[in-house]
Amino acid sequence: MRRPRLIVASLYIASIFLGVASAWLWLTRVGIAGVDAGAWRVNLLAGSQNADAYTRARVALGAVLALDRSETLYYTTQHDDRGKALRAECRYKIEGSPPTARWWSITAYGADNFLFPNAERRYSVGTESAQLDATGRFSLMIGPLPASEVGNRTWIPTAGTGGMRLTLRLYNPAPAVQQAPGSLAAPSITLAGECP
Amino acid sequence: MKRLHIHVVIAVVLGIAVHALTVWALPRLIMDRIITLGGGDAQAQSGSRASSGVYLPPPTDHTQRRIVMPSPDLLYATCAFDLREGPLRIRMASGYPRYWSIALYASSTDNFFVVNDRKTAGQDIDLTLVGPRQADTASPGEVISPTERGFLLLRLLVNDDPEVRAAAEATRRTLRCDRGRA
Repeated sequence: MRRPRLIVASLYIASIFLGVASAWLWLTRVGIAGVDAGAWRVNLLAGSQNADAYTRARVALGAVLALDRSETLYYTTQHDDRGKALRAECRYKIEGSPPTARWWSITAYGADNFLFPNAERRYSVGTESAQLDATGRFSLMIGPLPASEVGNRTWIPTAGTGGMRLTLRLYNPAPAVQQAPGSLAAPSITLAGECP
Repeated sequence: MKRLHIHVVIAVVLGIAVHALTVWALPRLIMDRIITLGGGDAQAQSGSRASSGVYLPPPTDHTQRRIVMPSPDLLYATCAFDLREGPLRIRMASGYPRYWSIALYASSTDNFFVVNDRKTAGQDIDLTLVGPRQADTASPGEVISPTERGFLLLRLLVNDDPEVRAAAEATRRTLRCDRGRA
């Protein structure tokens, strides 16, 4: 009599566990849907009242308090142009033309979605700090800061090892980009030198 | 044996229901924590409490580990609201000469309203926010929140210039979230 009850109780406990675990894995391991532009992906429903339950949950975990696309487009990536996962211990060169928006910035985050600690207190490069060359293009570096680059405003220092996420924010993007976010000429991301 | 089959079916349905409930509840739980911390637990934070329920976080840096993916380009001010006791009046001077926006979020995380410096054309902000139960009696121009509880986030674009930071600081200190109507 006791054994069947134990089996049934175990069955229900297992189903509850699997229900929670499957939701968590689905939300954290399956990439967020969206439109691609180069190595970057933008989710068009972040912050939107039209977001589905999965998008809403993923945004809550990784980008809570995002603005609706009418105000801001958030392009994110966790890999470079060759599809290799970004690593905090590696150096990357980001190059491109300034996106057509009222203001833009590229920020580096650790695998925990928080800023990398650094003595320079520099976490992003964008409209305010990007330096354009003669052709109007910008380039910046992201990775462990070598002593020779201390003070370089176009180098975003990382710390430690592990995964990394980049976010390209476009505040008040130009109408053409807002209507077709995949048409953005997104900045390139290439590994610079060897990755330890 | 037949009974066991019934229990297996119930367990599968239960698992699916728990999966759906987890996905539904997660953003609401995260938002509930943000609303609670943003509105009523200033002792646990390093920012300062301004007047009228407004919280002023310190400038964003790597020590901010409360809300994921903070923008280091922005200075923030927040205000948690609960409209069960009546409408909320939101006011702010709009003299800051750079980008700023006030965004309102429902307890489901949805961004249901945003206004920025260009939309106001230099006018000071004076908004009335009402809850879903008062939607029928809301006057034209009043903002209706889809949920009773929610969160206001003010963003001001800053840079390393001390004068810019001082101007942003002065502007965010004019933000007020008071009970009542405009």
